[in-house]
Amino acid sequence: MAMLSVRHLNKSFGGLQAITNLSFDVEPGEIVSVIGPNGAGKTTLFNLITGVYTPSSGDVLLEDRSVVGKRPNEIVDLGIARTFQNLRLFTNLSVLDNVLIPQHHKLKLPWWKSVLRTPGYRRAEAEMHEKGLEKLAFFGPRLMSFRLHQPVYVLSYANRRRTEMARAMATEAKVLLLDEPSAGMNPKETKEITQIIRRMRDEAGYTILLVEHKMGLVGEISDRVVVLDYGRKIAEGSYEQVVNDPTVLEAYLGKRAADQDEGLDGPGGGAAGSDASAGDAGEERAPQ
Amino acid sequence: MSDGTKRLRNLLLTLGVGAIVAVALALVGGTGGAKLNDSLALFAIWGIAAVSLNLINGTTGILSLGHHGFMLVGGYVTALLILPEDARQRISSSARSEMTPFTLGLSVEGWFDALGLHVLTTPETLWVRFLIALFFGGLVAMAFGLIVGIPSLRLKGDYLAIVTFGFGEIIRLTASTSLFKPFTNGALGYSGVPSDFGKSLWWTFALLALTLFVMTKLKYSSHGRALQAIREDEIAAEAMGIGLARHKVMAFALSAFFAGVAGGLWVSYLSAARLDFFLFFLTFFFLVAISVGGTGSYTGVLLGVAVVVFVQQYGDPLERTYSLATWFGLIGVLILAAGIGAGLYRRDRRMRPVWHPLVLGLIGIGAATLLVAIVGQNWAMFDGTFQAFGMRRILLAVLLIVIMAVRPEGIMGRAEFSWAWLLRERKDQPSDEERAQDAWLSGSEMDKEKERARARSDDPLPRSLTEEESPGAHPLLERGTKPKSDGGRRRKRGDDEGSS
Repeated sequence: MAMLSVRHLNKSFGGLQAITNLSFDVEPGEIVSVIGPNGAGKTTLFNLITGVYTPSSGDVLLEDRSVVGKRPNEIVDLGIARTFQNLRLFTNLSVLDNVLIPQHHKLKLPWWKSVLRTPGYRRAEAEMHEKGLEKLAFFGPRLMSFRLHQPVYVLSYANRRRTEMARAMATEAKVLLLDEPSAGMNPKETKEITQIIRRMRDEAGYTILLVEHKMGLVGEISDRVVVLDYGRKIAEGSYEQVVNDPTVLEAYLGKRAADQDEGLDGPGGGAAGSDASAGDAGEERAPQ
Repeated sequence: MSDGTKRLRNLLLTLGVGAIVAVALALVGGTGGAKLNDSLALFAIWGIAAVSLNLINGTTGILSLGHHGFMLVGGYVTALLILPEDARQRISSSARSEMTPFTLGLSVEGWFDALGLHVLTTPETLWVRFLIALFFGGLVAMAFGLIVGIPSLRLKGDYLAIVTFGFGEIIRLTASTSLFKPFTNGALGYSGVPSDFGKSLWWTFALLALTLFVMTKLKYSSHGRALQAIREDEIAAEAMGIGLARHKVMAFALSAFFAGVAGGLWVSYLSAARLDFFLFFLTFFFLVAISVGGTGSYTGVLLGVAVVVFVQQYGDPLERTYSLATWFGLIGVLILAAGIGAGLYRRDRRMRPVWHPLVLGLIGIGAATLLVAIVGQNWAMFDGTFQAFGMRRILLAVLLIVIMAVRPEGIMGRAEFSWAWLLRERKDQPSDEERAQDAWLSGSEMDKEKERARARSDDPLPRSLTEEESPGAHPLLERGTKPKSDGGRRRKRGDDEGSS
């Protein structure tokens, strides 16, 4: 039984067909990457899976149960959580609050119990606290200690990315959708995030669907890669299969197929990430 | 100190301050005179309303403009349920009465009579009946809150604000239609509502304390965090499993309940219930209080309410009749103050030149106007007098504009007063050890690699590249440039003073 399966999914915005007849499966404990040029429909796919958009037709199944037509928060309850490409943290709240909020949906107490701080609520709060710290600890000590109580807006870009991943993990979902987890990170941080994503699967047992532009990261951790172009799946398979697929080379890598391993850093990282990408390029060239 | 002892200390401090406030209130209630007593009661009543409005506006981030409607509902229900027998007689014998025997029979006293609880129908136990009436008022207001809240959930931002404003006005206007006339007695309303409670500092401040307790405990609970998440980013909140509809309705209902309670105290304070006691200006006052004090901060809102009540209660000298020369001079003083204020503001924000020609021009015009007013007191053009009606509200509006321009987040911002803050206990500052570890984490390895690279290559990397990758490694480095960080600004100002 596939953990997550997308069946004949279609989505159109007016005359624009953003996703066309897309089908693929993600098995439990798999890391699957979705790649494709800008505008290929990767983020639309995420929005369809998480309920932000409703598909025009087709189905999204989580463990054989359809999630289509449900509100985003209900889908989180069922077990799919996501991060956002351009960071949507609760910026004025502390790092700790940011990992406590996603656990709220599991708190089944009425509001007046939390106002009165009943023993049941205190227990739940302590538990949430512990779990939140556990998720942050995945990213090493840098978000712990004093950072916990700092508002997110003072954090560096990389730390915000980490906080957002910790926040998605804190929902206790089974499937995590990571939208460009390494955007705006330098090579060292990218390497670290690569290991963390792998540990998220190996140690915490998450099933991971990933959108990423950095081919190095994709090649290193993906069990399978799905390639989209203009909303259609043009290839699926292991990283090696996919990058040698002539259709992919033509649609995505163009004629410069020889460059395929050099970490194609698409311009999709957003404004905030562009500085860091420029830095990346510099760093990569330097030691040669 | 461990967390437990800190909590105990904070509790003791709070109780101590509470006791001091109680003693002060007792003294004021005894000897302070009616005006001071009334002003403090008004502060508490409007405080309840503003704090409850802040649950929607500040914590949940939905601009709601219909608070006076909820207060009206709570006020009328409370007034009807507590209205004494003689007042009911007066209404029923009046030819212009709109009420029916059924609606006139709605009274807590009547219910207790029917239940045979005669102990609770005596004048000494009026407070029990008032408490029950207040509770019912809150509940009915809450029901209206749900009625407004549920259809409004599909809307966001400005659209929702307009809808809530519409609902507030609809409540007020339909209250005088034939459908609700039997309950509200049309435009006449009721008079003779017992004022023992709305003017009692004990009652009003006790209920204010209760409201504050519920609101602050809620804010720092899991539910409150969910509401704040909705304020920060609705899409992200929903993507993190927070049901927007459920939480917004909860906020609306709870806010409307306390608005209803405030309405009940308000009619008791005025000892009458009439439709024109619940105009939009009430909501306007609360919005001013919230904006001045700090959106999202309950202690800030109380500060704002204090300002508003002070202007409203003690601002009457502004609305007296003065000679034209005095007004002219006053205008000069205002322009002068604006000029000097602008200069100080520019200095504070390190804008150069501090004394910009426009600023100097403003000061010049102000000084000249003031001079003319002083010198030419007896000139013919200054014959006559002028009375500025509504000056208090103009003052509040101007205050709002100034706050929005200078400190848009309000005096307190989102921060809440706390003992830890007063005692300078900060958890978000790194110890030296932590800072060292942090610096190591955020790039010592990279530095080494770069050192090696630099040793190998002939021309060194541009400096900008080597310095680039630890932005934000040290929160302290960033503070000066972040407009939202108050600490940095305050410190900077301190430095200015130190050097001058």
